[in-house]
Amino acid sequence: MTEIAGKLFSWLNTRLPIVNTFERHLSKHPVPSKVNFWYLFGALAAVTLIIQIVTGIWLIMPYSNTEEQAFSSIEYIMRDVDYGWVIRYMHTTGASLFFAVVYLHMFRGLLYGSYQKPKELVWIFGCTIYLAMMAEGFLGYVLPYGQMSYWGAQVIISLFGAIPYIGESLELWVRGDYYISGITVSRFFALHVVALPLVLIALVFLHLVALHEVGAGNPEGVDIEEFLDDDGVPLDSVPFFPYKVLNALVAIGVFMTVFSIIMFFFPEGGGYFIEMANFEEANPLVTPDHIAPVWYYAPFYTMLRAIPDPLGGLIVMAAGVAIFFIVPWLDRSKVASIRYKGIYSKIAITLFGVSFLTLGYLGTVGVTEVRKTMSVVCTVIYFAYFLLMPIYTKYETTKEVPDRL
Amino acid sequence: MQEKDKTRRKVLIGLTSAVGLSGIPFAATPFIAAWNPSAKAKAAGAPVKLDVSKMQFGQQIQVAWRKQPVFIVRHTKESLATLDLSVPKLADPNSDLIEEPYKGLNPSRSKDPGYSVFSGVCTHLGCAPKYFPEVEPKPWDATWNGGFFCPCHGSMFDIVGRVFKGVPASTNLLVPPHMFDGSILTIGEDREL
Amino acid sequence: MNFFKLEINLIFKFVALTVTLFFSSISHSAEGGPCKDYGECDVFKYSLNDIESLQRGAATYINYCYGCHSLKYSRWGRVASDLQIPEDIFFENLVFDKSIKPGDLMTGSMPEEESAKWFGVAPPDLTLVSRYKGDDWIYSYLRAYYEDASKQYGVNNLVYPGTAMPNVLMALQGNQRLVCKDIPVLAKNGGEKRDDQGNTITKEKCGFLEVEEGTGALNKEEFDSLIYDLTNFLVYVGEPIKATRERIGWYVVFYFLIFTALSSLLYREFHKDYNMKKGKA
Repeated sequence: MTEIAGKLFSWLNTRLPIVNTFERHLSKHPVPSKVNFWYLFGALAAVTLIIQIVTGIWLIMPYSNTEEQAFSSIEYIMRDVDYGWVIRYMHTTGASLFFAVVYLHMFRGLLYGSYQKPKELVWIFGCTIYLAMMAEGFLGYVLPYGQMSYWGAQVIISLFGAIPYIGESLELWVRGDYYISGITVSRFFALHVVALPLVLIALVFLHLVALHEVGAGNPEGVDIEEFLDDDGVPLDSVPFFPYKVLNALVAIGVFMTVFSIIMFFFPEGGGYFIEMANFEEANPLVTPDHIAPVWYYAPFYTMLRAIPDPLGGLIVMAAGVAIFFIVPWLDRSKVASIRYKGIYSKIAITLFGVSFLTLGYLGTVGVTEVRKTMSVVCTVIYFAYFLLMPIYTKYETTKEVPDRL
Repeated sequence: MQEKDKTRRKVLIGLTSAVGLSGIPFAATPFIAAWNPSAKAKAAGAPVKLDVSKMQFGQQIQVAWRKQPVFIVRHTKESLATLDLSVPKLADPNSDLIEEPYKGLNPSRSKDPGYSVFSGVCTHLGCAPKYFPEVEPKPWDATWNGGFFCPCHGSMFDIVGRVFKGVPASTNLLVPPHMFDGSILTIGEDREL
Repeated sequence: MNFFKLEINLIFKFVALTVTLFFSSISHSAEGGPCKDYGECDVFKYSLNDIESLQRGAATYINYCYGCHSLKYSRWGRVASDLQIPEDIFFENLVFDKSIKPGDLMTGSMPEEESAKWFGVAPPDLTLVSRYKGDDWIYSYLRAYYEDASKQYGVNNLVYPGTAMPNVLMALQGNQRLVCKDIPVLAKNGGEKRDDQGNTITKEKCGFLEVEEGTGALNKEEFDSLIYDLTNFLVYVGEPIKATRERIGWYVVFYFLIFTALSSLLYREFHKDYNMKKGKA
């Protein structure tokens, strides 16, 4: 029996690089021997993506993408389908935590220069993943067809209206109706469950292939390829299995604990993960008192609001996301890690982090005069972090990077 | 590496994988259970009630229970008398091959000797057999005593739904749980079962 | 090592800031508050394991509310079994339409257009009211009706000024009015201000709810407890799985804690290899 299996395997292996691929990218893949917890969010993002795909497939089954039934089919899932509530709460919690994990993962990149040569492509694929996720999250949020789905989508689709000349017809074209109707929901559904997941999976694949080509980074910004042992394996590396796998396992354990605490005890996340108004069916004639985007769009929503002109706001918001793509060329520092960068970089990234969080907070609350000023100030700091990067990274004094980890 | 460390490592690997693997069935439960009939499907498949006293003797009616046809036949004394005559032709006269809820209770196979209640789904490939109550020679059987004939593949059943020998269908038509409350027949529920 | 400290510092700063923002956002939700003229909503603490409270709440709902407000996502039989009421007793006492089967949805008995004619707006379905309004809001709202002759039904509501719903529970609560009271003026230190003779200084303040004594079938405590049960039932019906969800949650969290503990022990065990390797190199 084992003999036959062995033969079959070797037949396959001579035609398909199973062992080779497995060893190269999983079991023997060398990873830096010394990294900190910031380096675990990539693995967690992968776990969350899998959770989203599996629960998503299961949610498609009982969900109904019509104007009449979209909202009630969610309640059908929550009440009538056995364990439907588990699957739905997993998906809603997963959506928020996916963004949380990805934001931390991106911040790690900024902190340790994970975009620097030769990792520019890894970074760009990552930014594209983030962009696709934003679209995916938005489309998904419309599907329950609650009040917040409707009015959130109304606001976002109206952004297209700010584009000169074609704006209004573009809005109509996206909706396919004079309001966000069943037809809008059903096209968003198709994009949310088929088109964007395909794009996301392809991008994640490219992100990983590119990463494995150039090798994972480390918090010291040391190039571990410089010192190799007799077999050509970096001295400061450990094989992916079992070391990195076990490390990820611990991270997954912690992450899933947090995940289940939210999912089983605070699934609405205090109104940030599932907004209260979304428990009311969409009503095109009644706007809720307070429209706020889901927390993960909030920083960019604040930028939009900070600019009085709709088109200007749209441009600033788009630029806020787009600017991530050119970070590899903005950073002129000789060193990668914040540990060896100068004081300017340290101040800049702190201010950036604080302003990003403040922007996020401001996006979830109503507008007052003070808050409006705050959002302008934070938007300026946000962009200054990026736009001044070529200057402060070039002219600051950096510390000597050690040879080894 | 020392022997003690090796054992410790082995125990830890064993424990971690045991705990990890034991979680899989629990994680799979919601996904498997979500495919069960939902509360909505169960409500739509709830027991069906009807008054059978208005049926004429010898009449057959069809009701839908769980969107499947169920035949109800009100027998005449004469037709019940022919039941024994058919026995040599039957493949399974006592319903030994299927789960029969009211086995040996009445010749009609139901809870009331005057009525038969059975599924209208042929046990061959799922067509609905047709009711031919007349005792007369038929193209498919020269000594027809009345019963059900399936137009799809020629399976034959007697008037209480028992299958003939040598036809494509191999088992008797199934009897659903049911109960009579006076003349009110409930299909799909039997409090005594 | 101080580089690492810097990172830790950064993290602490972020956490501190996030916490501050979170709390300030909570205090924000109180400003302008959802309970309008009532001020702060009364705090409601649900107890979904108190089956008797839920049963009383269900009875109150069906007797006083269900005539106008459907619970269209909820099924009769589910309510009966979740609230541990035997089906025959439940259907005998609480289901007035005898053609209803346990699996049926509680779609209400009032045709929508008719009711819109009577009340100006169709009475909303209340299955999810506890989720989009919140239990505090319901608990406050149902106790905040007061006499106001200028309104169509002679009542108004502090929580929801201009509400279209008459106070269907008035016979139980009695006539509640807005009154003015003399209340002690508080000094800066939090104590009551007194004049030279040692008498408490008072000031007239209005907007207090007071029930005219003897006009209702229930006293204040009894009425509050009736509304408590009713709100508790609405919390249940807003998410029937809630109690189960929280119960299962403990097991799942416990499982992942064990898993985390074991895998970190295993990780540490394997980490020794790396240290040995480093020693060699």
